[in-house]
Amino acid sequence: MRRCRGGFIALLVLALAQPAWAQEKPHSGGELVFVVPSEPPSYDAHQEETFGVIHPMAPHYSTLLRVDPFDKTGTRPVGDLAESWTVSRDGLVYTFKIRRGVKFHDGTELTAKDIKASYDKILSPPAGVKSLRASAYGSVKAVEAPDASTVRFTLKWPESSLLLNLASPWNWIYKADILAKDPHWYEKNVMGTGPFKFTEHVRGSHWVGKKNPDYWDKGKPYLDGYRAIFISNSAAQVAAVRGERAMIQFRGFSPPERDSLVQALGPKIAVQESPWDCLNFVSMHHEKKPFDDKRVRRALSLALDRYEGSKALSRITLVKDVAGIIVPGTPYATPPQELEKLAGYGRDINANRAEARRLLKEAGVPEGFAFTFKNRGIPHPYEPVGIWLIDQWRQIGLNVKQEILEASAYHPMLKRGDFEVAMDFQCGFIVEPDLDLARFTSTSDANYGKHKDTVIDDLYVRQARAADPEERKKILRTLEKRLLDEETHVVYTLQWHRIIPHNSKVKGWTITPSHYLNNQLDTVWLAE
Amino acid sequence: MRTYLFKRFLLMIPTLLGVALVTFLLIRVIPGDVVELRYSGDRGAVSQELLDKERARIGLDQPVWRQFATWIWGVARLDFGQSMWTGAPIWQEIKLRFALSLQVAVMATIVAVLLAIPLGVLAALKQDTWIDYAVRVFSIAGLAMPSFWLGIVLILMLLIVFSWLPPMVYTPFWVNPWQNMAQLIWPALAVGYRYSAVATRMTRSAMLEVLREDYIRTARAKGLMQKLVLSRHALKNAMLPVLTVVAIEFAFLIGGLVVTEQVFNLNGIGLLFVQAVAHRDYTLLQALVMLVAGVFILVNFLMDVAYAWLDPRIRYR
Amino acid sequence: MATPLAYDLEAAETRRRWPEALREFSTRRPLGAIGAVVIVFMLLVAVLAPVISPYDPVAIDFGAMLARPSPAHWLGTDSFGRDVLSRLIHGSRTALLVGFGASILGAALGAILGVGSAYFGGRVDLYVQRVMDIFLAFPLIILALALVAILGNSIPNLILAITVPMIPRCALVIRASALSIREMAYVDAARAAGFGHARIVLRHMLPNVMAPFLIMLTAFVGQAILLESSLSFLGLGVQEPTPAWGLMLSGAAVEFAERAPWMAVFPGLAISLAVFAFNLFGDSLRDALDPRLRTQ
Repeated sequence: MRRCRGGFIALLVLALAQPAWAQEKPHSGGELVFVVPSEPPSYDAHQEETFGVIHPMAPHYSTLLRVDPFDKTGTRPVGDLAESWTVSRDGLVYTFKIRRGVKFHDGTELTAKDIKASYDKILSPPAGVKSLRASAYGSVKAVEAPDASTVRFTLKWPESSLLLNLASPWNWIYKADILAKDPHWYEKNVMGTGPFKFTEHVRGSHWVGKKNPDYWDKGKPYLDGYRAIFISNSAAQVAAVRGERAMIQFRGFSPPERDSLVQALGPKIAVQESPWDCLNFVSMHHEKKPFDDKRVRRALSLALDRYEGSKALSRITLVKDVAGIIVPGTPYATPPQELEKLAGYGRDINANRAEARRLLKEAGVPEGFAFTFKNRGIPHPYEPVGIWLIDQWRQIGLNVKQEILEASAYHPMLKRGDFEVAMDFQCGFIVEPDLDLARFTSTSDANYGKHKDTVIDDLYVRQARAADPEERKKILRTLEKRLLDEETHVVYTLQWHRIIPHNSKVKGWTITPSHYLNNQLDTVWLAE
Repeated sequence: MRTYLFKRFLLMIPTLLGVALVTFLLIRVIPGDVVELRYSGDRGAVSQELLDKERARIGLDQPVWRQFATWIWGVARLDFGQSMWTGAPIWQEIKLRFALSLQVAVMATIVAVLLAIPLGVLAALKQDTWIDYAVRVFSIAGLAMPSFWLGIVLILMLLIVFSWLPPMVYTPFWVNPWQNMAQLIWPALAVGYRYSAVATRMTRSAMLEVLREDYIRTARAKGLMQKLVLSRHALKNAMLPVLTVVAIEFAFLIGGLVVTEQVFNLNGIGLLFVQAVAHRDYTLLQALVMLVAGVFILVNFLMDVAYAWLDPRIRYR
Repeated sequence: MATPLAYDLEAAETRRRWPEALREFSTRRPLGAIGAVVIVFMLLVAVLAPVISPYDPVAIDFGAMLARPSPAHWLGTDSFGRDVLSRLIHGSRTALLVGFGASILGAALGAILGVGSAYFGGRVDLYVQRVMDIFLAFPLIILALALVAILGNSIPNLILAITVPMIPRCALVIRASALSIREMAYVDAARAAGFGHARIVLRHMLPNVMAPFLIMLTAFVGQAILLESSLSFLGLGVQEPTPAWGLMLSGAAVEFAERAPWMAVFPGLAISLAVFAFNLFGDSLRDALDPRLRTQ
């Protein structure tokens, strides 16, 4: 009797701890076919930053840590190649125990020195090799591999975000011997320890991967293989999913595309949605009149009816939630009631707009004042949000003309500061305030509006060093208030919304706010 | 005739060189370069030093004349270099897409000719009757509809009415002819219908012109059957301008199908062009333009040969 | 084959018969007349756009998003609640402006180059031909694409971007036509008689290439409108929120093609109708003006 009860309790615990479809037992077999909107320029993730590299190639590699593939917020680091880890009392030394028996696809065994070599390449690349994320690891003093199954990170100062940083989807672990011989080898070749081996890549057509029978996680991957088809036209992508030639697209579809798939395929389609770790905000150039006056900036924020806008725009484009500086639904996000206290986030739009007009008058901006709003020529959601912004600003008597720039002209324009008001964006590949907010410091290269606010600089450093999550939350609230309300350095619009309608046969994949996460496909299986 | 053809052949070279130079300069005038675009930083910024190092690696820091000389020297040895965006050899990037575009162009031309010649002849024979009007309306309708609109409507109809979608991935004809056709017949039909319009009109007016020639009138007066007259005398002479039009349209089809390829999701030269411009991938763009221009110039030359052979005035020059 | 003198006489006859030709045109060539009527109608709509459109084409109305055609909105609304009919009407301005602008400019420049090249012959012809060949070898849309990328997205730049690839194509057609006249004996006779270049070109060659020139012009207006819509579709033409037919067809219209087909159907129809009308008119014009093609 007691044994039965114990067993029953264990089963209950197991059932409650795991996500819904885990009740169904994963089958092995099948090929996952998915579409990818763009192709990888080169094969080295340390040197690239497009999802076109992650989606087809992440299954070939492992990282030291990764984000929990079952966590919807995408903020929980778990071990991939690391079996366990300890942190020293002062928070300066992180020691990772590496799994044994992990093999590269050529049969050789992975040891800690491979991890050290890969991280050396990321943190301090050899001459001629780029590393795009070296600056994120400014706190790391050294990476050592004292023995074959231990890796030790020593920091210059304590940083609470290190673990999540190390779970970055870009930090693929390469083979030390290959890197020593030729650090450029990985730009054109694939050799990893991931759940799938590389089969072929036909430029402009597809990428194929096959199951790795020696993968360290026995029993996984469930799939026999996968095939990524490169389709750049979004209508064609939808048609592919609709015609059941592809099962999923890992970036996101727009609301009307989702609706047409649901209507056409009914129960054959499952839809997963999540706030996206991306947001468009309005950058105003602080060195150009009248945007150097914070009353004018505040007015631009007060004019926006975010809640109505959210209702309407979420039907036609990739935005939804009204958000502050942190992605809604993640641990550090501001609760909605708190958010309403910020300028422009209140519910009484008429009062807000009256206030906006008053501020403009006080700042000496005449009725019908005209300026140019520079936007990026991307259909979702830049253009619809741009159209909406212009309409909202019209309501407070501003006459805004939109100038759309093609992608290649857009970035240089921002960098040069050749704008009065422009659409800017804050996109991250992992939800971590250190990464998401770095651009708002005075010295950041990405601070295109050129605001110089030492209070924000100070707050940023304090939140990065805060050891206690509750304290960190408090500091972030203060930073948010300063950025969006007191000084209104930037005007946040609406959080992007990620919509993934996929064939309901696809199981084991959980959506997160980032389209760079959860692409190793080891947990994915196909139902009959 | 031989000297005439030889002169025409020689003229191809300066034209090609001219195309190379104009392309080279034109794309460098477009603001932005591949390095800036590659590391534009969707998440923050990349250091200027890094960008400069990349430029030096690709060779963009050299003066323009030296870049041109290096490139032309490579072209002379048939080495088009590597794509600036991916680093892969140009030929590898192009070959699959060229095969696809070529096949679509050939199929579309066949469709166009199959439509144009009978319809054009019919319209010429029955000039100013309602048959003539119907043919003209039909062919102009093909010319008037935006190709992307037609493509969208076609694909949507296939999906909604037949619940069928053409294959998404290109398989060469010799690998799987059935799948190959299933994918490419639709754009071939859409494009062929469009291009038949010009050819139909040309056939019609050429036929009309020839039908008025004295010798035709004589032949008819002699009492020969109309069919005989048509097939031997009229058609042969009408062919020349029609052939010109078809050949020129064919040359335009390679690389000119940008929007059609987007809509039908064909991984062809047109799409590659757009991507290359968007990425400012100079080497790829230069190679593509040379390819398309080369096809065009070659087709022109072949037309000159055909004309020289068929037109006695030039033949005996 | 008609003799040179007879040809000249016939051409002179054509010029005198212009007013009668117009009347004759509408009765004997109904298709062309229909085309002409549609063109005039579109021109009127474009000119009177602010007066006749029921709504402001850029006014957003989220309350009326994706409404089907109804008495309030005759052609429905788009994803922003903007009235499709009003956007269509204002879009005709862009289409006709770009269409006419680019083709007139392109045809005029092309004609000058073509006639000049044919007339002077020899070295001039050779060089001009080479340059034209070079630009012809570029696919139309690629050249337009590159020019838009360099010049930016405004309407004048768009007109320029479409004009440049048009010039060599026009020059080719005009040159072929002018060459056939150049070969005529009477031109040499005129030279021998001591007439100056300008006089010969203006009085003898230009009027005789007028027919192919006009035909080509009408055909190229249609081409220009299509090219503009293709560029807008690709995101390189006119930008939001300016209404333009090609722009109305891209992006949102495709996504909502099933739920709100009126968003895509009407702009597509508008483009087709415009190009159709121009081509129909041009076709009949060619029949009317080319003496060799008249029915006996």
